[in-house]
Amino acid sequence: MFEGALCGVELGRLQGAFDRAVDDCKSDWLDGIARGTTSAAHFDIPNPLVRDDAFIDLIDCPAWYPYLMDFADQELILIGSQVRTLPAQPISYVGWHADVPQTNPLHMKVQVYVEDVPADGGVFAFVPGSHKPDAGPCPKPRLYEAMPGHKTFPGKAGDAILFNSYGWHTSMVNKTTSPRKSIILIYEQWTEGRVASDRYAATADRMTTPERRRLFGLDPMRAEAS
Amino acid sequence: MIDAHVHVFAKVSSQFPRDVDEITPAETEATAEQLLQQMEDSGVEKANLVQIGGSAFEQHAYLLHCLKTYPDRFRGIGLVADPAHPEEQMDRLVGEGGVIGFRLFSIGGERDPLAPIDVRTFDTYKIWKHAAENDYVIWLYPPAAENHCVPFLLDAFPELTVVFNHMAFCPGEGSFSYDDKGRPHLELPIPPVTRYNTMGLHQYPNVCVKLSGQYAFSKEPFPYADLAGWHGALLRSFGADRLMWATDSPWILEEPGYGNLTRVIDTQLPDLSEKDKALIMGGTAQTRLFDRS
Repeated sequence: MFEGALCGVELGRLQGAFDRAVDDCKSDWLDGIARGTTSAAHFDIPNPLVRDDAFIDLIDCPAWYPYLMDFADQELILIGSQVRTLPAQPISYVGWHADVPQTNPLHMKVQVYVEDVPADGGVFAFVPGSHKPDAGPCPKPRLYEAMPGHKTFPGKAGDAILFNSYGWHTSMVNKTTSPRKSIILIYEQWTEGRVASDRYAATADRMTTPERRRLFGLDPMRAEAS
Repeated sequence: MIDAHVHVFAKVSSQFPRDVDEITPAETEATAEQLLQQMEDSGVEKANLVQIGGSAFEQHAYLLHCLKTYPDRFRGIGLVADPAHPEEQMDRLVGEGGVIGFRLFSIGGERDPLAPIDVRTFDTYKIWKHAAENDYVIWLYPPAAENHCVPFLLDAFPELTVVFNHMAFCPGEGSFSYDDKGRPHLELPIPPVTRYNTMGLHQYPNVCVKLSGQYAFSKEPFPYADLAGWHGALLRSFGADRLMWATDSPWILEEPGYGNLTRVIDTQLPDLSEKDKALIMGGTAQTRLFDRS
């Protein structure tokens, strides 16, 4: 966990971008819920990277980016970004789970708390050690709190949590009266063809360094063999 | 076998008044005797009759008649005319014998999931409260716009028996039409996106899901193979002792036919154990519906 990974002006910029995006997109979200085509359990901003540079700058934030690069042997790609508002509700929208099997290339996420997330506010929870190959199948306890060995991560605005997506994790119930605001960044160790070269083409004009262009899949990760 | 969701109605008469619409004109009927014949031909012993034709007490006349005539074969689900003052009608219908619960098509709750939610302000709150106090069943078919309100009601009344209709699909605005056979059809994603507010309800011990209405939600002909994954997900989350098979007769009598629907679970859940199959095909309905006092 990176406490205070974002603070001051940087955090304020992100909070402003988050709230503007929610204001811009909320009516479409509510329309989708009414039509039965969009989930009411969480509100994700469509195409956030196109919407505001604050969301782009989060991807290679110095607080966590070096660790991701190290874990990925310097070959890291961005899979996606979820700018997510989680309503207060008596149940969680997702059970305990791993995102990918061990056969998947190393898969990592960073969850950034945009506002304070108290212990009963839909905190991220993880089972330490469950990312290891011998962990076995993920248990499915009826109550979230019954997961053996789990650890919860309440935090302040600007805190971030990096975790291995092989491990068992969930969002605990948001029992408060306020929605949880967080951003989930999804990364993976590079493999050929995993991200199409045009996936982030709409943001290409803002990818001004070779390293960023590789991270966003705009340039090849490895030099062409001669 | 127990068919957990069917409709019966008589021709409109002074004895059996009811509303009419394009699929239930005044001169049409789907009688209990016709249903019993279909059931007997397919080895189905009992059925749960779900009110159709209006929510006023007097419009329940045919339902009550059937329940009184065949008390060992049927249970019934009624409707509530006035959600603001539901208690008298609910008690009166149950008092007539055979009615065990009430169907809701709406919640009357907050449509913005990010807004503060207080169940006591919901239009149907008194129905839920009275049902919880008297152990009546809530037969639930909520619109997608309000499905997120349901967990709050279960949080308020955690012991209440709630049966989600039609595989827990929730109709979306603009999704409803009639197909070329005059049957209800709903154009919704498979699996339903409302599942994120529904699957977690397995933690409440008396929330059940009815496996029916495949014809209305599938994008394929019988046996509706595109719904098999969703049936499996419901089984894994809720378990067979909270799932109930049903036909939604009479809408299915012409296509795919009552007999075919008695076998639909075999194709939707092909790896089901005999014990779990027995529960889904009648055991759960016996316990949750017929064994109620």
